[in-house]
Amino acid sequence: MVDIEKLREIAREIISRDDVRQLIGYRQGTYGFRARPAFVTDPGEVDKLIFSPACVNNLATYITLEERLPVPRGQEPDLRKVAVMVKGCDSRALVQQMEEKAYERERILVLGIPCTGVVDMDKVEKRFPGVLARGEIVLEGDKFLLTYDGKEEEVAKGELLADKCTRCRYPTPLVYDQLLDEEVARFADDDYADVEALEKRSAEEKWAYWEEKFSRCIRCYSCRNVCPMCYCEDCVLDRLNPQWMRRSVDVSENTAYHIARAYHLAGRCIQCGECQRVCPVDIPLMELNRKFYKDVEELYDYEPGTNAEAPPLLSTFKVDDREDFIM
Amino acid sequence: MAVKKLSKDKVKEALQELTKFRLIAPAKSDEVVIFKQIENPDEAYLEYGNSTVPPKRVVFPQTETLFRFLRGSPELKEKDVEEEGTTVIFGLRPCDARAMAIVDRLFSWDYEDPYYLKRRQLTTLVGLACVEPPSVNCFCTSLGGSPFGTEGLDILLTDMGDHYLVQALTEKGEKLQETLSAHLEDAPAGDEKKAEELAAAAEGKIARSINTEGIPEKLPTLWEHELWKKVSAACLGCGICTFLCPTCHCFDIQDEVEETGEGRRARMWDSCMFSEYTLHASGHNPRPTRRERTRNRISHKYSYYPKRFEVIACVGCGRCINLCPVNIDILEILEQVVDAS
Repeated sequence: MVDIEKLREIAREIISRDDVRQLIGYRQGTYGFRARPAFVTDPGEVDKLIFSPACVNNLATYITLEERLPVPRGQEPDLRKVAVMVKGCDSRALVQQMEEKAYERERILVLGIPCTGVVDMDKVEKRFPGVLARGEIVLEGDKFLLTYDGKEEEVAKGELLADKCTRCRYPTPLVYDQLLDEEVARFADDDYADVEALEKRSAEEKWAYWEEKFSRCIRCYSCRNVCPMCYCEDCVLDRLNPQWMRRSVDVSENTAYHIARAYHLAGRCIQCGECQRVCPVDIPLMELNRKFYKDVEELYDYEPGTNAEAPPLLSTFKVDDREDFIM
Repeated sequence: MAVKKLSKDKVKEALQELTKFRLIAPAKSDEVVIFKQIENPDEAYLEYGNSTVPPKRVVFPQTETLFRFLRGSPELKEKDVEEEGTTVIFGLRPCDARAMAIVDRLFSWDYEDPYYLKRRQLTTLVGLACVEPPSVNCFCTSLGGSPFGTEGLDILLTDMGDHYLVQALTEKGEKLQETLSAHLEDAPAGDEKKAEELAAAAEGKIARSINTEGIPEKLPTLWEHELWKKVSAACLGCGICTFLCPTCHCFDIQDEVEETGEGRRARMWDSCMFSEYTLHASGHNPRPTRRERTRNRISHKYSYYPKRFEVIACVGCGRCINLCPVNIDILEILEQVVDAS
């Protein structure tokens, strides 16, 4: 686990630097053991920084989400670096963003967190209803320790771990300037069992399954906005003229939206799982993303977000690319 | 009208009776609780906390046709809300009913919205008191509501263990109670007193609060205050807080035309947190960043609305806190407003 004192010490040094504008990390949430993003600009604020298994947010999103207004006449743009804390999975978003030339490497300073896994809040809520709001959770070895109402409870790590962590190939960040702890060896691999189960279903079964999920969608676009790879300044969904997708919320338009979203992430999704985590109506978006992920790996031996020097998959063409899936 | 009881083993037959109307009740879609039209009483899920999407969408649908047209033809076919028929929303929470009472003021203000108001007129609200507050972030008591609040409701049901206590609150409610009379019995003596005790206990369990006094007047004085930048720093700009808010009522109007020339004018929910919400045709946006949008969300609820309608447009249901992906917490923002100087 990351030593919090060490984390704060390093953060203090970084934010004191003249060439650093802001540090994005985690701090305690407003209730229960929720954690939330922290935006530190002053050394006096570093003592609120934390890291725990509740630090689920992928902070790489904020690198591309930041709004840049036109610089007023007579003023210089602030070109100082932004420092960001990333877990293994989150770091892949940075790698993929840089692979796509979203920004230059010098713009960011990366604090890598070798990650031993984060919790799935829904799993905790299901197993210990209401506890999230009034307890604490820490990871000790292969167990989560929950403290609530004066009680202590031990739960095997695998039971409360986020699904993405149970098949994480890259727990140690793939890009960093400073690592906050010893490297963590890969503790799982991805056998795509869930995707294979989905593939085996008939077209009718798949449609019935997704129709139910998509009919719940309220088009809040939280899945788009939270995604570190959805950083187009002019999103096709916001366009009114031409309007590529209607604003009407019904199963047909919702399906079109989710197909567009998934396709735009093919060969780009780095499996941080944020889209599914934030969905208020529990649409299992990662099942779509993972199907593409598996296809891309099988067809092109390519894993998004693992090599910043590699050309982005879908903007390259090789004469020996496999084409046997093309009719 | 006398208070009645609805025995739990008669709930299904009562719901069956109500399916002669358009019956809307909480139901499960996978693990998500939503309000939907039910044909079969088994679909209703009354042992719920609160629904993810508020029942506002029954009276204010996320997308609704206003009228249909044929390109090139001057004739319009207006939507007749009457065709939807009499509606009963069964088992909604008091905060969500109160939210409808609050939003009614807007839709009947300078222009009487025929679609919304007709639908409201056709709808009877059967509430289910919160014996246990559904969420740790409930704060209805700070806004003049209560877990047993009756504002906006036509009937209040209280879970008494083996039965529901049924209290008709309005003429509409009495009429519906009459419809259900074959399934109701006289309430046991002492039930009303017991319900009062349950109500007091439930109020005591509301863990979070805010003193709203002075906030509507103070908000406009903090227009350029640094707090807005801080509280909106983590905002993703998604529509969760507004779409899932039972009082948010902004909408957009768009024409949708098919290749045949047949089309419709439809209105659909809009969110002040979206980047194109106030985007002008010129390209200028008076709310260029999430800072201004967050300030607007809070100011609309806690300042503009009370100034015009004498009620804060928030019922303390806690959905925006519970479901925000980055833990932006309206109570924390309001506390900062109170403390700001």
